[in-house]
Amino acid sequence: MTVLMRVTEVSGRPVVTLHGDDVAQVRDVVYGGGNGEVAGFTLSGRGLLAGPLKQGLPWSGVRALGRDAVIIDDESVFRPRDDVVARAQARGGDVFGSQVLTDAGLELGEVVDVVIDVDAYADVVGYEIDPTEAVSKDNKRVLIPLPDTLAVSGERLIVPASAVDFVTDDLAGFGAAVEEFRARLSQTGPEA
Amino acid sequence: MRFSEGKGHPVVATHSADTVGKVQRFVVDASQSRVVALVLKKTAGKAEVLRWDDVITFGPDAVTVESAGRLVQPDGQLARLADKKHAVLGRRVLTDAGNEVGEVDDVEFDPVDGSIRHLLTTGGEIAGSQLLGLGSYALMVRQT
Repeated sequence: MTVLMRVTEVSGRPVVTLHGDDVAQVRDVVYGGGNGEVAGFTLSGRGLLAGPLKQGLPWSGVRALGRDAVIIDDESVFRPRDDVVARAQARGGDVFGSQVLTDAGLELGEVVDVVIDVDAYADVVGYEIDPTEAVSKDNKRVLIPLPDTLAVSGERLIVPASAVDFVTDDLAGFGAAVEEFRARLSQTGPEA
Repeated sequence: MRFSEGKGHPVVATHSADTVGKVQRFVVDASQSRVVALVLKKTAGKAEVLRWDDVITFGPDAVTVESAGRLVQPDGQLARLADKKHAVLGRRVLTDAGNEVGEVDDVEFDPVDGSIRHLLTTGGEIAGSQLLGLGSYALMVRQT
């Protein structure tokens, strides 16, 4: 079963051990760049006055990412924050605000959120974009599926032109759209 | 028996027939899925915790104990568990998949051995065998 989530909803979630203690909360999601995975999280302390922590949470230390909390075994899975972030930046960096362009040269819009599938490992399966008129007339945010691998630069990402056929505005139906899109890519092109 | 039924039970010393206190709260070790002690009120001194192993019987109308000398002021792990912060009733319940289930309304326990049979939560019933831990944030249970 796929479990889809917008990463902006993950920020602020408590990080809770199996003992039931809340030891941190998620500050930002750190991406592993071009291969479309979540590398981990930067953390803040709990409570109103708590600032950023020097410790980060690599994805390998996450036991589960649920609706209400991030579950870890215990605090021994934390790593120095700079280790978690540096590994990710070496491979890509932040996609928010990047322009999405198809390989046919059509501008689709600007990335405003990232959709991840958190079932087994955290795979980035799509982006929520602020669309251009070519994609949506009424300017409402839409979801576009991503292939397994993706070309990303600092300002732009390239998706296959057929992604446009699978655009949806509903997260509930998006999992099926991603699967169909990826199935079509594997039938038609070696680049998928 | 439920926590709500056991709360307020008089604790009676079998040697003297005196009431040494009343059950105020149940102390739970979630990793063992059992009640490990009772916190009492209206005790004569500062010792107000009764270890489950020192309970003779948790009966339908009263709890029996040998004498008031069995009451302790807890230290170490027992003190941590007996702290009000670790009270089970009203506690948030979170699964190991990171999803909230609800809050604990009541607990069904076995008065013979203190084992926890079920949690009755606002989100449904949870078997005692699913308990994982009880911390500052939540009572952790295994997702089924």
